[in-house]
Amino acid sequence: MNHRFESALANVILYGAMAAVLVFFYIPIFTLIAFSFQEGRFLTLPFDGVSLKWYGALFKSGPALTALWNSTIIAAFATVIATSIGAMAAIVAVRYRFTGKRAFQGLAGAPLAFPQLLLGIVLLLWFSVLGRWFGFNTGLVTAIIGHIVYIAPFAMVIVAVQVYNFDPVLEDAARDCGASTWEVYRHVTIPLLWPGIFSAAIFAFLLSWGNFYITYSLAGSTRTIPTFIFSGIAVGSSPLYPAIATVVFIPGILLVVLANRFRPKAAATA
Amino acid sequence: MDMEVSRSWRDPELWVKALPSVILQTTCFLAPLVMTFVLTFQKTQNFQLNWTWNLATWTDVFSKPHYWTILGHTLVMAVACVAVCIVIALPIAYGLATRFKRLDSEIKVLITFAFITDATLKTFGWVLFLDKKGAANYLLMQMGFPPETVAFLFTDWATLLGMVYNLLPFAIFTIYLSIDNIDRSLILAAYDAGAGKFRAFWEVTLPLSRPGIWAGSVLIFLLGVGVFLEPKVLGGGKSPMSAELIRQTFETRVNWPLGAALTLVLMAVAIFVVLLFSRVAGMRKAGQ
Repeated sequence: MNHRFESALANVILYGAMAAVLVFFYIPIFTLIAFSFQEGRFLTLPFDGVSLKWYGALFKSGPALTALWNSTIIAAFATVIATSIGAMAAIVAVRYRFTGKRAFQGLAGAPLAFPQLLLGIVLLLWFSVLGRWFGFNTGLVTAIIGHIVYIAPFAMVIVAVQVYNFDPVLEDAARDCGASTWEVYRHVTIPLLWPGIFSAAIFAFLLSWGNFYITYSLAGSTRTIPTFIFSGIAVGSSPLYPAIATVVFIPGILLVVLANRFRPKAAATA
Repeated sequence: MDMEVSRSWRDPELWVKALPSVILQTTCFLAPLVMTFVLTFQKTQNFQLNWTWNLATWTDVFSKPHYWTILGHTLVMAVACVAVCIVIALPIAYGLATRFKRLDSEIKVLITFAFITDATLKTFGWVLFLDKKGAANYLLMQMGFPPETVAFLFTDWATLLGMVYNLLPFAIFTIYLSIDNIDRSLILAAYDAGAGKFRAFWEVTLPLSRPGIWAGSVLIFLLGVGVFLEPKVLGGGKSPMSAELIRQTFETRVNWPLGAALTLVLMAVAIFVVLLFSRVAGMRKAGQ
């Protein structure tokens, strides 16, 4: 095969595949956005008309707003706690040499490769048995704990990348200048790891915000946006659900763009 | 550069930071797993757990072919999903690592956003797209195709499509990281030696990106055997996979010991398959 022809063919395959995959990724997303503007009651084409009335209905729907609120609360708590635990674990897993290091890495990262539904079920069993002994039910708190178990390993991996690029000499220098352990963290370690911690936090928020499987198992009767939509698909839908979906996309795209803006700056300061 | 600092477990620098993870994952991951195992030796009576040790659940699991048929179906779907994901992810990851320099960050944002968006929503979006009266058929009819050309919603093909859709980004990310780490001069050397694009890819890039392909495959396989949303929503629940069976066992039949046993069987078989493949892959590498 002629090399120039081969290069051209390679380009066609690479650009073609990329374009096809991007279209593939956005088909369901754009379909949902389109259906949210359907005026009629049914999710079929052609539309009866184009309107925003389902957005109005959304903001008057008690259950939908409660679900939105629950999603926000769970994501807020899960983000702060999972990111903190994950960031500390990342420093330990990358920077320190100690007995049991491999075991620590395995334990701290294990939920990454565990199917979410099964993690949810195993935790549900655990909380049900504990709940019967100590007298509590699954709900918001157990859902938050489940999210933390699942998300902390992700945060660890993301922060670990930043820790790799971090020169420990900087900490030693600060210590030699008389900084206390806390001062070293406050003024050297955390600022230098901040881009990684920030990305991890955004990732954590989105993983929690969009989580279906774990919430479904652990939230008891508490509904979040994903479980609310799942129950809606089952009962026969109306354009209310695509409208919720579209509203849910907005913080997602904002945060992903924000995380991306942050990255080049991180490279410049590190 | 050696950045590792030796620390003893008595040093607060180590244990203060390690302890939260250790406590979290032992109390909320390891302990529940152990308890799940213990539960399989108990009984349920009148929807209540009865703490009596017996092997009834395990004899049930090993005597009913029904469970194993579903498990086999699940494994086939997961392996098919892995194969499709890797084939699609290779050109995408290669392209991301070597071309698209100008649009690189925009493409990554687009992929990340699609990846991070709630799977329930995206799966629901596919239903609206593939439905008899959905967007795909509407668009095709506008182009002159007969009505209901796209008619594979609520089949295994739709389930597979949903699985590939939701898991593909894992393969793209892991293979991308692998290809991005390859020393470019190796590929340039292959060109200098007269190799064309395809030969260089086949003989240099592909073997060197094996860690990423492997990591992506394992991740997708393990996540693929646990899917529940796709067979339920896109597959229409007609040919259930293991996760759906397990969920039903817990929710509908309220048989916790059986559900726990099926969960463990699924995980054990999945891990066994991964180990088996890694053995085969390792032997092939040694033989080369």
